[in-house]
Amino acid sequence: MQILSKSKLNAALDLLSRQAELFVPLARGEESGYYPWKSYQAGSDQLMLDALNVMLPPKGVVFPQTERIYSFTGNDKGVEIKESFENHDPRIIFGIRACDTAALDCFDDVFLTMGYVDSLYAARRENTTIIAHACYRPGDNCFCAAMGIDPTEPTKADVIIRDTGDAYIWESKTDKGDKLTAALSSLLEDREAATPEMQAFKHQVDYEGVAEKLKDMFEHSIWDELSQTCQTCGICTYVCPSCYCFDIQVKSWGDEGYRFRCYDSCMYPEYTQMAGGHNPRGDSRERFRNRFLHKLEFFKERYGKPLCTGCGRCIVACPAGIDITQIIKQIKEADTSAGA
Amino acid sequence: MTDISLKIREIAARLLESGQVDMFIGWEEGEEQYQTRPFIAHRVEDVEKLVFNQYAVHNLANALLKYRDGSEKIGMLAKGCDSRGIVRLLQDGQFQRERLYIVGIACPGMKDPLAAAKSRSGFLPAVTDSGLAAKCTDCIEPNPVIYDELIGEKETPRVQEGQRFKLVQDIENMTLEERYRFFEDIFSRCIRCYACRQACVACNCRTCIFDEMKPQWVGRETSISDNFMYHLVRASHMAGRCIECGECERVCPVNIPLMLINQKLIKDVNAFFGPYEAGMAYTEGAKPPLSSYQENDPDNFL
Amino acid sequence: MPEHKCDCENPLVPGIVEVIDIKDETPDVKSFFVRSVDGGVPFNVMPGQLGMVSLMPVGEGMYSVSWQEEQEYLQFAIKRVGLMTDELHRIEVGQKLGVRGPYGNGFPVEECKGRDMLFIAGGIGLAPLRSFIKYCFKHRRDYRRIQIIYGSRSYNDLCFKDELFDKWPREQDTEVYTTIDNPEAAWDGHVGFVPAYLEEISPSPEGKIAVVCGPPIMIKFVLQSLEKMGYGDEQVISTLEMRMKCGIGKCGRCNVGSEYICLDGPVFTLAQLKKLPPEW
Repeated sequence: MQILSKSKLNAALDLLSRQAELFVPLARGEESGYYPWKSYQAGSDQLMLDALNVMLPPKGVVFPQTERIYSFTGNDKGVEIKESFENHDPRIIFGIRACDTAALDCFDDVFLTMGYVDSLYAARRENTTIIAHACYRPGDNCFCAAMGIDPTEPTKADVIIRDTGDAYIWESKTDKGDKLTAALSSLLEDREAATPEMQAFKHQVDYEGVAEKLKDMFEHSIWDELSQTCQTCGICTYVCPSCYCFDIQVKSWGDEGYRFRCYDSCMYPEYTQMAGGHNPRGDSRERFRNRFLHKLEFFKERYGKPLCTGCGRCIVACPAGIDITQIIKQIKEADTSAGA
Repeated sequence: MTDISLKIREIAARLLESGQVDMFIGWEEGEEQYQTRPFIAHRVEDVEKLVFNQYAVHNLANALLKYRDGSEKIGMLAKGCDSRGIVRLLQDGQFQRERLYIVGIACPGMKDPLAAAKSRSGFLPAVTDSGLAAKCTDCIEPNPVIYDELIGEKETPRVQEGQRFKLVQDIENMTLEERYRFFEDIFSRCIRCYACRQACVACNCRTCIFDEMKPQWVGRETSISDNFMYHLVRASHMAGRCIECGECERVCPVNIPLMLINQKLIKDVNAFFGPYEAGMAYTEGAKPPLSSYQENDPDNFL
Repeated sequence: MPEHKCDCENPLVPGIVEVIDIKDETPDVKSFFVRSVDGGVPFNVMPGQLGMVSLMPVGEGMYSVSWQEEQEYLQFAIKRVGLMTDELHRIEVGQKLGVRGPYGNGFPVEECKGRDMLFIAGGIGLAPLRSFIKYCFKHRRDYRRIQIIYGSRSYNDLCFKDELFDKWPREQDTEVYTTIDNPEAAWDGHVGFVPAYLEEISPSPEGKIAVVCGPPIMIKFVLQSLEKMGYGDEQVISTLEMRMKCGIGKCGRCNVGSEYICLDGPVFTLAQLKKLPPEW
C-alpha cells in the first residue's frame, strides 16, 4: 500500500499546490468551506481534514457563484463577441467526501450530457483532480447510504485517501491519480496499514420506493403542511452540494459588456416569473414542492439517481428547522388512497 | 418551562375550539430540544406539539407575511421581538390588527438552534454550545409590546447599561481606511443567498428592489461592489424600521455581523430624529421617522 | 446540436444576425426578420422550434421561430411585455442581434401527414402555430382539411392579419375562424372567447390533430373542451412556455416535472402532459 504519513501532510499539500490550485477544507473565521491552500493562515485558519465535513460545499471549484460567459462590444452599428471565458487552470480538490463527489457526479450528468456540453463547466471539470476522503464515521445528520452512496468509496475520485489515525492510505484510481502519486512519490511510503472500520449510521432513513411513490403525489395535501414554515430563504440551495440552478444576466457599460451566470434558487419568488406576468410557481408552497420533487423524484427520473446525496447540510442550516429526512419519512408514510 | 408550555396548549386549544382563530402559531420541538422550530397548529389535536423552551428564538411575526392577503384569523405567541415585528407589519399596513389574537409571553432570553445544530454538525471545529443567542444579549425589550393576553413573568432588558452601541462605537472610532477594510472583509464573504432579506419582518415589499429589473439597481454578481450595494441599500431601507429581532444575522450562513450595521442606523436615527425605537407601540397612522418629513429635520449630512 | 455559426464550443454564445426588416403586427407585437451577417440563416429550424435572441447589452429571450423562409431569413414575432422586449421594440432595421438555436423538439410534422389539422390559438399564441400552418400550406398535399380558430382581445390585437383574412382563407380546403373578446363597431365577425367559439364550431375529432397555443389559462380551457368533444389524448398537441435562461436544459428553471420545456418540449401531446404535473 501507499501510505502518506500525517507528519508529511503539510509538505504534500505544499507540493500539490505547486502543481495546481489546491483546495482544502478549512475552518476560517466562523465558517468552513473549501479554500485555496495557498491562502491558509496559521492562527486564524484550521485544516478540517479530521472533521466530518465543512459547511459550504466544494461545488464552487467547478461551478463558481459567479462566472463570466462571454464578453461583447455592441452598438447600433455592429455587435461582436469578444471572448468566451472557459477556464482551463488546473485544480485539485483535496479531502472531499463521498457525499460531495456524488454531487459532482450529478453535476457531470447535468452539464456534460443530454445533448449539450456546457463548455465552461467542462473546462473546469476536466482540469480538476479529485482526492477524495473516505468516510467511516457518519455524523448525526448523515444519510448518504440511504441515497445509494458508499461513504468509503467516493465516486469519481482520482485518488482515495483513508485515515488510519496517524497516516492516510493513498489509493490511486485513475490516470490523473497516478500522475499525482508520481509527483508525491518522495513523500509516500510503501507499507501496510489497517483500513478503518465503518461505523453505523445514527440516523435511519428509508428512501426505498419514495421516488416511485412521489409520481402520484403532486396534488397531495402533505405539501401544505410541510411547506408551512418555509420562508423560501434559499439557504438550503446555497449550502447544498448538488443544487445547480443558475441565472444568466448581463453587465454592460457604454458599448461593452459581458454575459455572466450566477447561482439562482428555485425558492425565490421570481424563479419562474415570466415577463408577461404569469408565474406558475408564485406560491411558496409550489416552489417548496418543486424543490423536493426535483431532489427526490424528477432528477431520478431523468438521470437515474436522486439529486440529494445525504450530506445533511440543509438540515443544519435551515432557519425554520425543515429536515429533508423528515420529509422523506412523511412521504413514505403518507396515505395516498383517494381523497388524501 | 413545562408549566408555560401547558398553559400555552390550554390557550391554543381554547382559541381553536371556539373558532376564535383558524390557526395558532407557536413552536414545536424536534427529536432533540435544540431542534425547536416554528409550528402552526390547525386542529385542536395539534396543540399537543406546542412548547415554549429555551430555543424558541425565531421571530414568529415573519410567518404572518404568507397570510397577509388572506382572511384567516390567526392566534400566535409573541415574545418581545415577535411583538415588535407584529407592530412593524401593522404599521406598514401589511396586516390587520383584527385578524390577530396575540398571546404575549415575556422572554427570558433564548439559545440559538442554528448555533446548536452547527456546533453538533461536525462541520465546524468543536464549538461549545455557548449561552444566550447573540441577538438576545443586546435585547432592549423582552416583554411583549402588544398583546391580547399576557403570560409569564415580566423580564428585565438584557442589554447592559452603556453597552448597547459599544461595537458600533468601536467601528466609528476606526479610521476611514480601517473601516473600509473591515467591511470589505465582511462583505467579500457574502454569497448573496438573500436569506437575511427573507428572514426579515421589515422586508415586506411585494417586489423587492433587488428583484427589480427595470432598472436593475444592484447586479447579481458577488463582486465586492455589488455586495456592498446590496447590504448598504438594504440597511438604508431598514433605517427607522428595524425592530432589532436579529434574525438576519442569526440565519446568515456565512456569519456576517448584520446587526452591527442595523445598530449603527438605529443609533443615527435616534440621534438625528429621535429619541425613537421602532415597533415599540402600535398607534394607527404612525409612521417611522424616515417616512415623514419635518421642516426642521437635520440635513447637515446632505 | 445547435448549428450556430460560432467558432467556439460554448453553447451559450450566440451567432450574430442582422435585422433586415421589422413589421408591426399589432400595437404591441412586432415581427423581426433576421439573417446572418454574412448571408443565409444562422440555423435551420423545423416548425415549433425556438431561438434564443440576445439584445446584447440588455438581455436574452427565448422565442418561437414563426417562420423560416428557406435561406432568406428567420422570422420572430415578439410581443412587448418586459424589460428586454421593450428595448427590442425600439431597435431599427440594420441592428445586430445575437441568436442561438435551434432549441426544442418542434411539431411532429411527419406524423401528422395525411391528417385533418385543427389549429387553435389565442393572442400571441398564433406565432408558434404559424410555423406549422405555413408548413402545411407549403406541403399542402401532405395534409388534408385545415381549420384555424384564432382569437384575440380586440381587432387590433389579431396578429398576421393579411394571412388571417386574405391568404389563408383562399387556400385549398381551409377554413379560418376569427373571434375577438368584446364587440367593436367596425367588427362584424364572431365575438367571444376561443374555448367557447371552439365548442360552437365543434369540429369533429374524426382523424384530426388539434394543435393548441395561447395564454396558459386558455390552453387549459381548450384542452378541457377538446376532451369534452371526444378528442383522444394522442390527437391533441400543445406548445408551452416557461421562463428560460440557458435554453439547453441546464439552468433548471423551465421544468414541468422532469421534462425541460427548452429541451424535451416545448411541444407536448396531451398524453404526455397528463403524465406531468400541471405546473405551467
